[in-house]
Amino acid sequence: MELRGRVWKFGKDVDTDELFAGRFMMGGDETNQSQYQDFVARSGLSDVGHRNNVPRDFLAKVRKGDVIVAGENFGIGSSRQQAAETLKFKGVQAVVADSIHRIFFRNFWNLGCPAIDFAGISAEFETGHEIMINLRQGTIRNLTAGREFGFRLIIPSWFIDMVEAGGLIPYHRSLRNVKSKKKSAR
Amino acid sequence: MTLVEKILAKKAGKKVVRPDQIVEVSVDRAMIHDALGAHTIARFRELGVEKVWDPTRMIVVLDHYVPNKDIDTAKKCLNIKKFVLEQGIENYYEVGKGGIAHQVLVEKGHVLPGTTLVAVDSHTTTSGVMGAFATGIGVDEMAVVFKAGKLWERVPGTIRINVEGKLKPPLMSKDLMLLILKKLGISGALFKSLQYTGSAIKRMSIASRMVLTNMAIESGATNGIIEPDWKTLEFLKSRTGQPFAVIRSDPQAEYVETLEFQTDDIREPMVAVPPRPSNAVGVTEVEGTKVNQAFIGSCTNGRLEDLRMAARILKGRKVDRFTKVIVIPASQEVLKGALAEGLIATFVEAGAVVGPPTCGPCMEAHMGILGPGEVCISSANRNFQGRVGDVTAKIYLASPATVAASALKGRISDPREFF
Repeated sequence: MELRGRVWKFGKDVDTDELFAGRFMMGGDETNQSQYQDFVARSGLSDVGHRNNVPRDFLAKVRKGDVIVAGENFGIGSSRQQAAETLKFKGVQAVVADSIHRIFFRNFWNLGCPAIDFAGISAEFETGHEIMINLRQGTIRNLTAGREFGFRLIIPSWFIDMVEAGGLIPYHRSLRNVKSKKKSAR
Repeated sequence: MTLVEKILAKKAGKKVVRPDQIVEVSVDRAMIHDALGAHTIARFRELGVEKVWDPTRMIVVLDHYVPNKDIDTAKKCLNIKKFVLEQGIENYYEVGKGGIAHQVLVEKGHVLPGTTLVAVDSHTTTSGVMGAFATGIGVDEMAVVFKAGKLWERVPGTIRINVEGKLKPPLMSKDLMLLILKKLGISGALFKSLQYTGSAIKRMSIASRMVLTNMAIESGATNGIIEPDWKTLEFLKSRTGQPFAVIRSDPQAEYVETLEFQTDDIREPMVAVPPRPSNAVGVTEVEGTKVNQAFIGSCTNGRLEDLRMAARILKGRKVDRFTKVIVIPASQEVLKGALAEGLIATFVEAGAVVGPPTCGPCMEAHMGILGPGEVCISSANRNFQGRVGDVTAKIYLASPATVAASALKGRISDPREFF
């Protein structure tokens, strides 16, 4: 499975309060998907101007298919899934970082978006570079600089299938359909 | 194998597991609260499954936004309540019946040694105090746990934190934990487990130990854990009728690393300066910093011994006239104890406001929200920028003793002065 996109270079220590402030966790109606997506997309990184680890024009210019390449400690803190959702709903399709904290790592993958922790990778990219990620081969290419890097992820064997299915919930729904088809075939 | 490896091996049905191995474990307990519960339920419904795997293993606690602060949060709680009734979940704690989820889980005997617990909250690590594997997950994963009762995990290698000595009041386990975090940093235990051992830990009450497991996540750890001892068993005796098997580390267990601490290493009360819990300094370095709010409470430090310590410092004194001093017992049980011991009267006499047992101003949820430029000294666990309100507000983390002393002066103060 191959992803290709435009890079946004983030700094280090992007925490979950920065990605999605607590005050917005009360809003958004989870039972109404389109309203919820709009709300979560809009509310993320709301105080970003007060920090120096996210490019100033990210919110205005991020578009579908973009990839974040960040320094160490991406996603520190809370289990709030909105921290991962807001990036996905803004269009970010993958996060690559020197290190990624556990709950954010899981949450982002579960949304069908790869989170790749790869020490030292942030030094190889700048905002505006083109990145290509091959999940099954375990390679990241900087198409702008013409360099390729091999990575190894510690993830369950079914994780890439899950991404191809569109995330954890769709993946489990599809498993269920396979099972019920098997049953009815008998 | 270490304690956590043995629990994960048992729950995965394997003889041996190794650090960084991926395993699938059965879940013994799953908890949701009102901050992410409605979200979890909505995702569970998308799975197209009617019934949860086992309602007797589920615990639902309302603690973040109760009594409901607005229509949005009231709606979330209504959705949760409907789900609880529909699924036949017995372990449901309405406001006024429980308190902060992590406190309730332990206090009501829901967490047993050698078991697994997941919850939609990063501070789920708290429950590791009972010798269980307890960790936080997001809502999509919780929806799948509701369906299947299973979770994948990357087996965390164990970092042993060995602490020898005895803490002398007004030093508290919070001061020790801030020192440990200073040493580890915010990612020092990423994808690893913290296991606390040594004579200082043995001497501690369960409440003091909970501070250590609670804040394990602040070093990036998957979980924090303490081997059960007689205090654990004594604590559980009146709280559960269910059988359990105590699991202990093998004598030849391999630790990724052992960090040695002496309680004498803590030369003075510690304060974590914003914006990271690992930014610990001695209180004398920040003494005199003006504060607008002082908060004693949270799943980290809202237990009876914390309130006793704060009351000892506040008794017969008045808090600074311009400082908002907020005391929030971690649970109804803690509140009852504090009432019986006269601690609540002490707080009220001193000029503090006492809130209902909820999360309070540990995060930007409900009450105690900080305005632009305000400074709060807090007994909670996280001081990220914007965590409790305006992005320009600042949060200093300290023990209940240091927070109480600071409440008196309206400035960060050394509790030894009032002790």
